[in-house]
This record gives sequence, structure tokens and C-alpha cells, in this order.
Amino acid sequence: MVNLTIDGKQVTVSKTATIYEAAKEAGIYIPVLCYAKKLLPYGACRVCLVEVEQMKGRLIPSCTTPVTEGMVVTTMSDEIRKVRKTVMEFLLVNHVLDCPVCDKGGECDLQDLSYEYEVVSNRFEGEKFDLPKDEINPLIERNMNRCVLCGKCVRVCDEVVGYGSYSFINRGFETKIATAFDRGLNCEFCGQCVSMCPVGAILPRPFKFKARPWQLKEIDSVCGYCGNGCTITLGTKDNEVQTIRFNDKTGVNDGNLCIRGRFGYSYVNSDQKLTKPLVRRDGQLVETSWEGAMQAVTDGFNSAGDSVGIISGARLTNEELFLLKNYGKALGTENLDHSGGECYKGVTEGLKETLGIQASTGTFPQVENCDAILSIRSDFYETHPVFGMVVNQSVRRNEGKLTVIADKLGKFTKLPNARTLLHKPGLELNLLNAISAVLIEEGLAKTEGVEGLDALKDALKDYSADAVAAATGVDAEAIKQTARELAAAENAAILLAYGLPYTAYSKELGIAAANLSLLTGIAGRQGSGLYLCGEKANSQGAIDLGILPGANGLGAQQMLTDAAGGKLKALYMVGEDPVVSYPDRSLVEQALENTFLVVQDMFLTETAKKADVVLPAVSFAEKNGTFTNAERRIQKVRKGIQSKGEAKTDFAILQQLLKAAGKDVPVDEAAAFAALAAATPGYEGVSLEMVGPQGYVWGGDILKPETANLIPVAGGKAVDSKYQLLTGSALYHSGTVSTKAKGPSAVVAEAYIEVCREDAAELGLEEGDLLKLKAEGGELKAKVKVDRRLPKGVFFAPYHFSDMELNRVYSGQPVIAVEPVK
Amino acid sequence: MTETAEQVAENTVEEIDLGPANKVIDKYIDMSGNLMPVLQGIQEEYGYIPEETVHLTAERLNVYPSQIYGVLTFYAQFHLEPRGKYIIRVCMGTACHVKGAGRIGDTIKERLGIGHAETTEDLLFTAEYVACIGACGMAPVIMVNDATYGSITVQKTDEVIKKYKAMG
Repeated sequence: MVNLTIDGKQVTVSKTATIYEAAKEAGIYIPVLCYAKKLLPYGACRVCLVEVEQMKGRLIPSCTTPVTEGMVVTTMSDEIRKVRKTVMEFLLVNHVLDCPVCDKGGECDLQDLSYEYEVVSNRFEGEKFDLPKDEINPLIERNMNRCVLCGKCVRVCDEVVGYGSYSFINRGFETKIATAFDRGLNCEFCGQCVSMCPVGAILPRPFKFKARPWQLKEIDSVCGYCGNGCTITLGTKDNEVQTIRFNDKTGVNDGNLCIRGRFGYSYVNSDQKLTKPLVRRDGQLVETSWEGAMQAVTDGFNSAGDSVGIISGARLTNEELFLLKNYGKALGTENLDHSGGECYKGVTEGLKETLGIQASTGTFPQVENCDAILSIRSDFYETHPVFGMVVNQSVRRNEGKLTVIADKLGKFTKLPNARTLLHKPGLELNLLNAISAVLIEEGLAKTEGVEGLDALKDALKDYSADAVAAATGVDAEAIKQTARELAAAENAAILLAYGLPYTAYSKELGIAAANLSLLTGIAGRQGSGLYLCGEKANSQGAIDLGILPGANGLGAQQMLTDAAGGKLKALYMVGEDPVVSYPDRSLVEQALENTFLVVQDMFLTETAKKADVVLPAVSFAEKNGTFTNAERRIQKVRKGIQSKGEAKTDFAILQQLLKAAGKDVPVDEAAAFAALAAATPGYEGVSLEMVGPQGYVWGGDILKPETANLIPVAGGKAVDSKYQLLTGSALYHSGTVSTKAKGPSAVVAEAYIEVCREDAAELGLEEGDLLKLKAEGGELKAKVKVDRRLPKGVFFAPYHFSDMELNRVYSGQPVIAVEPVK
Repeated sequence: MTETAEQVAENTVEEIDLGPANKVIDKYIDMSGNLMPVLQGIQEEYGYIPEETVHLTAERLNVYPSQIYGVLTFYAQFHLEPRGKYIIRVCMGTACHVKGAGRIGDTIKERLGIGHAETTEDLLFTAEYVACIGACGMAPVIMVNDATYGSITVQKTDEVIKKYKAMG
């Protein structure tokens, strides 16, 4: 710690602090333009100049100067005021001053500082620029005439996002911020640059001319898309979410968001949303009253008896899931589940059997300080982009060593010095086994208190680094290095995402990752962690709450099979669109056809179109409750707008259904939380008061494994086919909901098949051509996207889009053998 | 199909050969601070920095294309467009200016149709107006690549152009 004096006040701060940070901590205001908490010090704007007694004769930039013992700092004097005012004059020399039509007006740092320093005239004259605006992309508008060259956008895109869209180009007065070759922006569209810009140079286009900042009501909530659980602050006006506001004070994401979180909100305002319940009469879905709909549901379920199956989405709040579980009990059915293909089995069975727990062991922020990180599948950045940014920071700032087990290249594999174990599709398990084998063989494994070592040793005989290298096409030395790095790291992390398009080997992958976490000692160690991250906002909550088949119940896949075969009479789908997103579309369709089907959703989805009763539900922005993210963080979801029409929260609908079944129901969400906390392992003793601005991590920052069982798992098998198709998540989308949102759809509007350049040349395909693939007796077609990230012979198609009917050929297999049709 | 194959073949012909750029990168890949020598080497090979080589350099050196573009636009020595085989530098320094350098520039513009930083379509000539080249005693002066032509006149300029045109 260092002691210094700022404006006569004694301050004690960490020795790594700058003068600016020390002043901020002491509540002393120093103006800044180019400083941002999450970025490295830069010192570009010179408005934070202060006097330091020990450094007399010049003014010192407080944001880049570290504190020293005994420093005496003055933050305001006549001279400082004069110099800061001059700096403002310089900045305003070529600024366009179009404040009346600038969306930043009212929260612009340049405007505020000009006002504060009373810059009413300018002693300098210079040329104003008339640079063209970047109006090519739909989401981020760049007007470089308003830029003050603070470089925050350049730095955030490099340091945090790791994309590097921007750079300073040219020099002297001609200097400006531009992309490579000064073209329109074509990037991830995460909008971190938008959130960092202190002026109106980079703005969210969908928000243009929608509202002045002071007209907006701000409500902190949690993003409804992925399991990252980012805090998003809704900016609402006229009962609509107008924009997502920057907020780096609340939650786990440090103000960082991805395209889905920042630009994917429009579906909550959509006029396509259901506003009235629907029932099927004479083959048609027609509007009805809530009473009529409820009666139809009750009658339908009653006549089905206990032959009812309930399949839920993982975007319901914990409170809603709790009621849903109770409703299952009320119906007398144990057929309760979420997520088709049981993609969560890595957690519920894999981790359960090895570590005795059913959740990630660490928290996201600590990954920034990990020295070794293993990402299983390159898609991790696509499924959990903001957690991915933490990995970026570990690699870029702290020189963390990242290894990616990948069937294709991606964002992670491009990070500096990232090691990519690029394998033939479907062989992730083999590589995990090989890393474990190296650990044991080289005596690096931590085996104290671990059960099942001999059996594992025996099973890993066939998985020596050399054998696996030969089978997977990965360099054996790279496998060994990965094992050594993970063993040597003080803090290490293993990442694995799960979700609907990743159902193959889900349990086995969980076990193999857990084995590795035991052998490296990562599981339960301070600073380290094994992260199994669910695809949806409340995937972890669904597991915690036990939205899983009971002892005699059926899982989602079995329910659909039974329903298709006429053995299950009724299905209740809550916030899930299996027709589009579950494996094996034909089976799903048949199942829905053959049963009494109730669908509860926001939109008339493909699944809802087949329903007998449709109950209109609302979005996360219209409800209160809690989500539990993939690091076990319980966070509050807050209602920002009133729902339109007669749509109700899933909570209210379930309350009504429970009442109709003659059960007692919690009066509101808070009461439901109290009840669920008492009934849910890990949540005991947690109250809503404990869920603060940073949420509440159940089980603590480090969840200790309860058992340490090593379990052998067999590797995968490579598919013998010249062309193979992989499915998965695209960065711009999450599940099927984002396809109803304008932002993500503006960037990626429709299904596509990604093809590498060599294959494209060989097959005579160009970007945008229609490609037909024969597979599994069916046919697929979509537009071609030519990319450089796929190995030869491997295609990729995202699973989010309905039109492509990918799940006609995808039935949960790790790789789909395909044949291009000429 | 045949048509598309032809198109692809055509595109490949149009694409530049990245071999020389890869060789330059191979040479410097293990050196720290290698971006400048790599870019200089590439310019040496191609006469300018083709866009494809920027993306190649970015990928192989793990630098963002935007950063490379920043470097390329910061230094006057780098060129993003193909340049002529012969670079005519017209000195516009004080002495040359007084002795009629403007007329020399105009003559080149008239004969070849190129002004400052412009290149003829046949990629034979690029004109550049430069500040003093340090040969004021011979003003007005032009340089064609490494050869210097002093006390130049409109007529002499014509001769010089003719000479290099003949050399092709």
C-alpha cells in the first residue's frame, strides 16, 4: 500500500494504482475522456492533468501516472483550469458541434466538459472535417467528424474483444480511427466500441432519434439469451425497450455484451408476439379467452391422466421452473425435462458421477488470472461470447496459455499464441483421453484421494499421445505440451459449453473433462475451475431446480419417441420450439401430431402452429424473478415494460394452472423464491436480499467436489465420408429466439452452410450460391458462406433457423456424413 | 459447372502469387518487431503492398489487419496501389520551384497524364512531387528511379520520357 495526499486528503491505495484511481477511490473528481476502468492506461486526451509537488514544472497526466509514497497531488488550481480549458479548445477545433441532432447529447463527455470549463469561444481555428459516415452496417453508426481520438474503441476491440476492427490511420491532423482499408465495419457487432465512445462518434443505429438519454427509464435486468448471465440495463420509454444502456457497475460482465445482448432486444417489443390465447377448432387455431384456454388445457390433461409429458425451455426464471415442477407433481407425472437430446447430461450425469456435483466449480472473473486454459470445442466463444472475452483478456493481457480442442478454427484459435488441436470431427473425447494419459504417464497427475485411477490407467492404454495423434490428425507434441501446461499452471480452467446442437457424447465429454480436472487438481482449487456452461439464460437454474425426469419419468427424447408411438397422450411445451431446435424433426413432428399439445410461448413458433392450445407468454423484460447463470450466480430479472395484450408471464399462467388443479400457490415471485430456496440443494438459506448487484453465487466462488471418481470413457469414432457436416451455434444467434430479433437478424438473417475456400473452388461454389447436401436419406439446402476456418471436407451449418430444416438430418450424431448434390 | 470452374480459374489468375510474400514472412517470422521489415520486404517484391499480402501478414504474424493498415498509412514509404516501373520524382524544393519545376511537372502531366502520386495505366511510370532532393546546384532536377537529371527543361523531359518508354 502507498500513502499519498490528494487535495490535502490522506489517501492509502494499492501500489499499482494511478493517481486518477487513487483520487476516484477517495471520492475526488478528476475529469477524463480517454480513461476507462477496464482498459489499460493510455493518456491520450490530457484533460486529467494534475499538479504533483514532487514533479514541479509541468502538469502530470493522472490517469497514467502511478502513485508513489508521499506524493502530494493537487487536482485543481488556476493553472490546471487554464490548461484543461486549452485542451478542450484543441479538441473542439475540428469538432462538428452538431449537438442538437447528436444522439449523445445529454451524456456526452465532450459536451459536459466544454460546459464545465466554460469553453464559450475558441482561440484556435482549424479545418472541420467532412468525413463520410459509416452507414453500411445496420447496427453501429460511425461519424468520425465527432471523434476526439481517445482510442477507447481501438483499445476495447483489441484488449477485451480481441477482434481488432479499429486502428489509428494516417498521421498528424489527418489521423482518424478506421478499419483495415478504411471500409465499413464488418465485425462481431458486439458494440463494445459503442459503449466506450465518450462522444457521439460511435452510436447504436437502432436507437437513433428514439429518445434523449434523460427520457429513458433504466432497469437493471439479466440478458435472456445465453448462460453467461450478463447484466443488461434496459432503457425504456413509451412502454418499449428502446436500447440497452451501458452499465459496468452491476453484474459479472463488466459492461461487456455481445451482439445478442446489446442489439438483440427488439423481439420484446415485437408486434408478432402473441397477445391472446389460441385453441384449435375445426383444425384452425382461433383466439379465445383465458378461461376458455385454461378449461381446454385442464380438460386435455385430465383425459390424458398421468400420460402427460412436460418439456420446458431453459429461459424461464427459477420461480417459474419451480411452479412448473409443482405442476408436474399436480398432474401426477414424472415426465419432466428440458433441452432435447439431453445435452446437459455432461453436468447432470457426467459431473455427478465423477465430482458428485452438478455445476461449474469456479466463477467467470477468476479466469482472467488463469495461466492455462483449455477450451473444449472452438465454439465456446460463439455460445458464450462475454465469458469468451474474459478468456481474451487472460490471453492478451496476462499471457495465459490457451489450448483449443477444435474441429474448426474460430475466434479463440486466432488469439496470440493459442494452441489449436485441430482434429477430425467427432474426436474431442480422444484428445481429452490423450491429455489424461500424458498426465498419468509423465507422473504429472495429482492422484491423491482420487478413486478409479487403475481402471482409468488401463482404459487409457489405447490413448497414448502418439496413437491419438495418428487418429485425430493432431501433433502429438502439442497434446503433451497441453498436458504439461495444465499440470504446471497455478490457476487453470477447462471450458465446455453444452446446448441443443451439441448433444453427441454429452455425458462422456462431461466425464472426460472432469477426469482431466481431477488429474490436474483444477476441480475445487482456488483460482481454478471446470466450467460446464449451459446454452440458455437459465440452463443451470433448470438443473438446480430439477427440471429433469423423475425416477420413473421419461426424458425429453423418450417423451417424444413415446408420443410419436402413441404411448404418451399429452405434451406441455413451455418456451421451447422443438420442431426447429431439437434433433430429429420428423420424430418431433410425429410426436406433436399424435398428442394433445399445449404450447406456451411468446411467438406462434413452428411448434405452436401444431398445438391444440397456445398460451401467450411474455419475454424476460416483462417479468420479475431470478436466473442462475453457468457459474451458479443467482441474479435478479426485473420487469422493464408492461406486457401488451393479454399475454401473461409464465409465472402467472402456472399459478392459474396450479390453482385449477386445486393446489396452493406462492402469491408472488418473492414467495416462490423463498419456497424454492428451501427446497433446492445449494440454495438453502439464500434469500432475495442476499442477491445483490453482483448477484449471489450459490456454493461460493469455488464449489468443492464431493467425490473424486475417475471414470474411463471410450473415444469417439471418425466418420468415413469425404464430406462431413457439423452443426452448432453461430456467434450472432442464441437458440431460436434471436431469429425474431432485428439486430442479430440484420447481420445473419438466414441459414447458411459454411464451406472452406478449397472445397468451394473444387465444387465450383461461390458465396451466396445454393448448396444442396444429401444426408441420412434426406436433403438439405442453404446458401454458401465461404470461409477460411474450416478444414477441407468439413461443412458447418448453424442450428437456429427453421427454414433450413437441419434437424431433418441431424438426430444428435456428432458428425453428419453428407454428399453435395450437383 | 464448366462455366463456374472457368470463373474460378480466372479468379485464381487474377489473385496475386503469395509465394514471395510468404518467403519474406518466413525470413522474419521469429524476429521481434518484425512488422516493418516484413512490409518493406513485401513492397520490395511486389512494388507495392497488395491487399492479399496484408491479410496474409496479419494471419501469420498474428497482428490485426487494421493495425497493419495503420502502419501502412502512417509511413509515406508504403504504397497500397501498384506503382510504375519507373518512378519520376520531380523536385519541388525552393530552388527548383524558382527555376520552373512547376513547368516540368506540367509537362509530365501532359505527356503521361499523371500528376502527383499517380501511375500510368500501363504501370510504366509513377510521378511523385517531392520536397528538396538535395541537388539544388542542378535545379530544376528530376530523378527516374536512381538516375538524376539536372538542369532539366521541357525538351529534356521529353527526351527522358522517350528514353524510358523505349526501354519499356
